[in-house]
Amino acid sequence: MITMKIKISLFVLAALMLVSCKKKDETDTSPKTGKISISFEHFISNQPAIVNDYIYTNAAGNVYSFFLVRYFISDVELYKSDGSVVKIDKWTDHFYVDTDIPHTLEWNVFDEISIGNFDSLSFRFGFSDTKNQSFMFVNQPESNMVWPEELGGGYHYLQLEGKWIDPNGIKIGYAFHLGRGQHYDGSGNPVPPFIDNSFRVSLPNSAFSVETDKTTKLTLRMNIENWFEEPHLYDHNQWGGDIMQQQPAMLLAKENGWNVFSFNLNNN
Amino acid sequence: MNISFVKSKIGLVLAFIFLFTSCKKKEEEDIETHNPTPYSLEIPHGFPTNVNIPDDNPLTVEGIKLGRYLFYDDRMSGKADQGMGMSCSSCHQQAYAFDNPAGQGTGTTSLKTKNTVLPHINLVWNPGTYGWNGSVASIEEDVLLVIPDPTEFASTWPDVIAAISAEAMYPPMFEAAFGSKEITPERIAKAIAQFMRTMVSQDSKFDRVLRGDDNFTESERRGLVLFTTEEGADCFHCHGAPGNPLMTTHLFYNNAKDTIFDTSSDRYSVTNNPRDIGAYKATTLRNIELTGPYMHDGRFQTLDEVINFYSEGLLYSEYAHQLMHKVFPPYGNGAMLNPQEKADLKAFLLTLTDTVFINNPELSDPFQK
Ligand code: HEC
Ligand code: HEC
Repeated sequence: MITMKIKISLFVLAALMLVSCKKKDETDTSPKTGKISISFEHFISNQPAIVNDYIYTNAAGNVYSFFLVRYFISDVELYKSDGSVVKIDKWTDHFYVDTDIPHTLEWNVFDEISIGNFDSLSFRFGFSDTKNQSFMFVNQPESNMVWPEELGGGYHYLQLEGKWIDPNGIKIGYAFHLGRGQHYDGSGNPVPPFIDNSFRVSLPNSAFSVETDKTTKLTLRMNIENWFEEPHLYDHNQWGGDIMQQQPAMLLAKENGWNVFSFNLNNN
Repeated sequence: MNISFVKSKIGLVLAFIFLFTSCKKKEEEDIETHNPTPYSLEIPHGFPTNVNIPDDNPLTVEGIKLGRYLFYDDRMSGKADQGMGMSCSSCHQQAYAFDNPAGQGTGTTSLKTKNTVLPHINLVWNPGTYGWNGSVASIEEDVLLVIPDPTEFASTWPDVIAAISAEAMYPPMFEAAFGSKEITPERIAKAIAQFMRTMVSQDSKFDRVLRGDDNFTESERRGLVLFTTEEGADCFHCHGAPGNPLMTTHLFYNNAKDTIFDTSSDRYSVTNNPRDIGAYKATTLRNIELTGPYMHDGRFQTLDEVINFYSEGLLYSEYAHQLMHKVFPPYGNGAMLNPQEKADLKAFLLTLTDTVFINNPELSDPFQK
């Protein structure tokens, strides 16, 4: 909220500056850069995910509903056709997405991106271990994503929640939560080192171009059913509703995450 | 630290410098005659840096002082002359973290509030969803609602304004806070809201441990582990953790207390979203030792009863929140804690009691000196 406000006041100040000062001589040394924005959308079976209804069936045959998804992406890299790499890291190097909070569904990237053609982009789902520092977020909603110290600390990379119907017809909540994993000792206590379950997502078919004085609008779509599909069949009846302390289940999620996202370019 | 926030501050400062150095100085605006003293709220270690203070009601020393008097003044009901004096503090008592051991509040006409009284703890960080169901958008709005509410003051604004105006000390205090002696509902609401935004609880044992000034006992530490693990008691998703030290997400959940639901004051009554049937705010667990009876309807008298409920008293319904894992198979009725685990969980919860807060002289009744 406050960051927003500050951004707005910055903007106002900038505007004020432009109108209140006599125009200075302009020399055309302006760098050749443009802007990008990234929208996030959430689909199931090629349709926007519908909340609440038990209308979905995953690859393992579980009938389920979708309530919400929250996640972080970080370390976005844009691959230029000339072979260079542009990292998004000027104002912030991560973004929080929450289907319950509309303004988190669009990231107006602060960085000035050098113009040209880009072949593709990639990002990290969650945070790499070195970046996943406990207590780095003090504000909500990000701080609500805290991952308990006892289980490795840092933050949830993912909270995907809804319910599925078990063989007895009971609607069971699934909290498909991904974050650091644990090894356990003989008496069932977590022992370090903890396991980094974050992973890179590469989107080979994500060509776009950046032009001066223009914002190129990219869209990242999460295809939710893919979390449960490939290469591993993920059966809620096998893993149950809570998986933060089940590394084998989180490993499946991590390995299924590679093709959960797809890329779109909005031509407008 | 929130890096983008710090960066943006730096950016602002730079922008200011730029503005001042790059332009010829303009004529200074008329200096305002009314200059209340800005009050700067300290952000405790690890607490959110984003605070919910409306632009049109910044904290000032004079405003907070006025708000404190109004909060504790029985004339605020506008009925003191009829023997029905009542103030915010009649229901919201400092000794109980501004909650009330009676459970529901009782208004000037003896009618009871529908739900139990909520404490005033760190409300400056509430994102704008006050009340058990989040229907109130600001503290200012809450003040405006209390006056006519039949279960609270059951009064009218003209009566309240008349009662407050009649007290000689107030007009100058309004002038100091707001620039003129005029007494309006908006100004009363603003002053009380300012005072309430200073009700910051940050000195419990839990806080001291996080700051490195104290240590948990073994039992408290085991309790924290139970609190923050899914296979333990599984409380943190809704009630916070050391990394979320407000000890609330400020979100709404159905915590599996019932199988049929009264939807007249739940979150569903606000959102109309079926997911919110039977859902209420997961209140902060700070000072939880002091704020019983528990739940919106006060059904549990003691913390032990609450712990027993989460351990073996959960009830399945299709509205039970997805994070209430222990109500679903393969669990059943709760976390099934053994007596030692219950004692440990309770020991941890008791570390959230902040005796500095409930004895803070700046928050106490100014009429009792
Ligand atoms: C008759 C008892 C009573 C009185 C008097 C009273 N309140 Fe309350 N207050 C309550 C109850 C009950 C609730 C919980 C209401 C609900 O959400 O159902 C509450 C809730 C609140 C909340 C929301 C807290 C939160 O955590 O969301 C605020 C703010 C508040 N009161 C402020 C005030 C102020 C300011 C006054 C004086 C102008 C006042 N109250 C007077 C009973 C009272
Ligand atoms: C799914 C979210 C959720 C989980 C998990 C959860 N709670 Fe709650 N808790 C709530 C909600 C919502 C309320 C308020 C419900 C109401 O008033 O009807 C609440 C109320 C409470 C209260 C009473 C608060 C008050 O001011 O009256 C206590 C104490 C409490 N919870 C402790 C715990 C403990 C201890 C655990 C873990 C064993 C736990 N909770 C797990 C959501 C949750």
